[in-house]
Amino acid sequence: MTTPLPPGIELEKIDERIMTLNVGPQHPGSGHMRLIIKVDGDYIVSCDPDPGYVHRGEEKMAEYRNYIQNIPHLERPVIHDSSNILYPYCLAVEELLDIEVPERAKYVRVIASELNRCIYTLYWLAIYGIFLGHSTMFMWPAGDRELFIDLLEAMSGARVTHAFLVPGGVRNDLPANFEERCLRQVNYFEKRLKEYEAIFYQNPLLIARTAGTGILSRTDAIRLGTTGSVLRASGVDFDVRKKEPYDVYENLDFETVVMKEGDSYARSRVPYLEMFESCRIIKDALQKMPKSGSVRTKLKPNPKGGNDEVYRRVESGRGALGYYIVSNNRPEPYRVKISVGSFRNLICIPYLLKGEKLGNMPAVYWSLNYWPVEADR
Amino acid sequence: MLKELFSQDTAPHATNVLIGKLGEVLIRAVGKPLNLAVNWGRLWSLWPVHLETACCSVEFGAASSPRYDVERFGIIEAFGSLRQCDLIVVMGTITRKMAPRLRMVYDQMPDPKYVIAMGACAITGGLYFDSYNVLPGIDGVLPVDVYVPGCPPRPETLIQGCMLLQEKIKRMKAV
Repeated sequence: MTTPLPPGIELEKIDERIMTLNVGPQHPGSGHMRLIIKVDGDYIVSCDPDPGYVHRGEEKMAEYRNYIQNIPHLERPVIHDSSNILYPYCLAVEELLDIEVPERAKYVRVIASELNRCIYTLYWLAIYGIFLGHSTMFMWPAGDRELFIDLLEAMSGARVTHAFLVPGGVRNDLPANFEERCLRQVNYFEKRLKEYEAIFYQNPLLIARTAGTGILSRTDAIRLGTTGSVLRASGVDFDVRKKEPYDVYENLDFETVVMKEGDSYARSRVPYLEMFESCRIIKDALQKMPKSGSVRTKLKPNPKGGNDEVYRRVESGRGALGYYIVSNNRPEPYRVKISVGSFRNLICIPYLLKGEKLGNMPAVYWSLNYWPVEADR
Repeated sequence: MLKELFSQDTAPHATNVLIGKLGEVLIRAVGKPLNLAVNWGRLWSLWPVHLETACCSVEFGAASSPRYDVERFGIIEAFGSLRQCDLIVVMGTITRKMAPRLRMVYDQMPDPKYVIAMGACAITGGLYFDSYNVLPGIDGVLPVDVYVPGCPPRPETLIQGCMLLQEKIKRMKAV
């Protein structure tokens, strides 16, 4: 320090050595959120996530719409996983209003849910690929994703926002020849998935950037309350579909994918391996589904919930997704609380990024299977 | 008359008028082709800013996927620096927290810059018209060139919106 600085301007002291970086909301490595990162040279000292850029007040809006009117806006937080975010809502409302769901509708729901899980995971994989600079891995999943979008479009009539699952079943029956078409495309997709292994997961560049970075131990994963693929990549065998089976998941044949490493590579690999299981579930459900029958229980117009509260959860693409609904004898819910997987996985970002290199930030951040719009609700 | 014009005290004024008239003639002769050339250059290399604001970004991503491939029409995939961008696609809902950031991003872009409002939320607030944290459309924040309706718009609709913007740029005054 030789010359005094003019008033109003402060430079950081050299002995502190800390620089603060704002990553996002306009940044190719962040989503719709901001990370306030403090770096010492190339190493991250602390990270403070700042979500809430897409907070649209879904929970408040649900309080002045009735149970059926709530469907379209509740699927908007994750439009590419819209069946899975509506699934727990339908289960909870059915429990609240005492609705019996037809057997065929339960299978159709499972098929829609698994197709949507594949769509979500492929989109996430495409984004993960492009943020690591692997543009082939953007093109392949983004192209294969359109096959499943076509299937769901044939089922429901909409490209991404289906509003297909409703309390009491599904909105309409499957189109003609859907079973053969679905089976053909799922078989093709399984072949394509095996090619991803060679181009992405065996790629030495990916392994160098993700293996051994951002390690989340088993005890930390449980202590921080993470869920979904992050939890399973840390060696905890927890899947809502297995542990608390809903609809017909107990009749279907599948396994949960668990990896022990807990690093970014394991977290990026678990959703990929789960897509094989999703294909298995779809094929099994197509076989076991009753070939005819009703798919929707008719509701009374403007149904009223009793003086009751329910909580139901399902396994979404990002982990356990639950709805807590309180009703007070009115057609509108009194309170709706949405517990989403993304927000619960956000909490481990500060723990994972501490001590990492700044260049590993996108690899760690996107391996969390995080969708900011859902986390903000 | 002429003598009066070129007399000592009005000379600078007259020269200015003359230069002005010459310039007009020149622009009439060269301006139109120049305009066409400049607009042609702007038309086929629109760089969108990578600013995802809400869920419509899923369909924006799908528009760059192999099936839709928006790059065919000269819209380059959204990567790179803000300072090199000339198009901002507002992908959906703008909340009260995001609106100042959106304006900051727009102000940092160099001229000429264009705005596409994508989705019902960016146009009027859409499904969230009565939410406490959502702006009823971005008209109060940015000057919008093209509105792309839909909730969310299909990638084809977005591509059509981009082509409408290109039609608009073709007719804009560049010089």
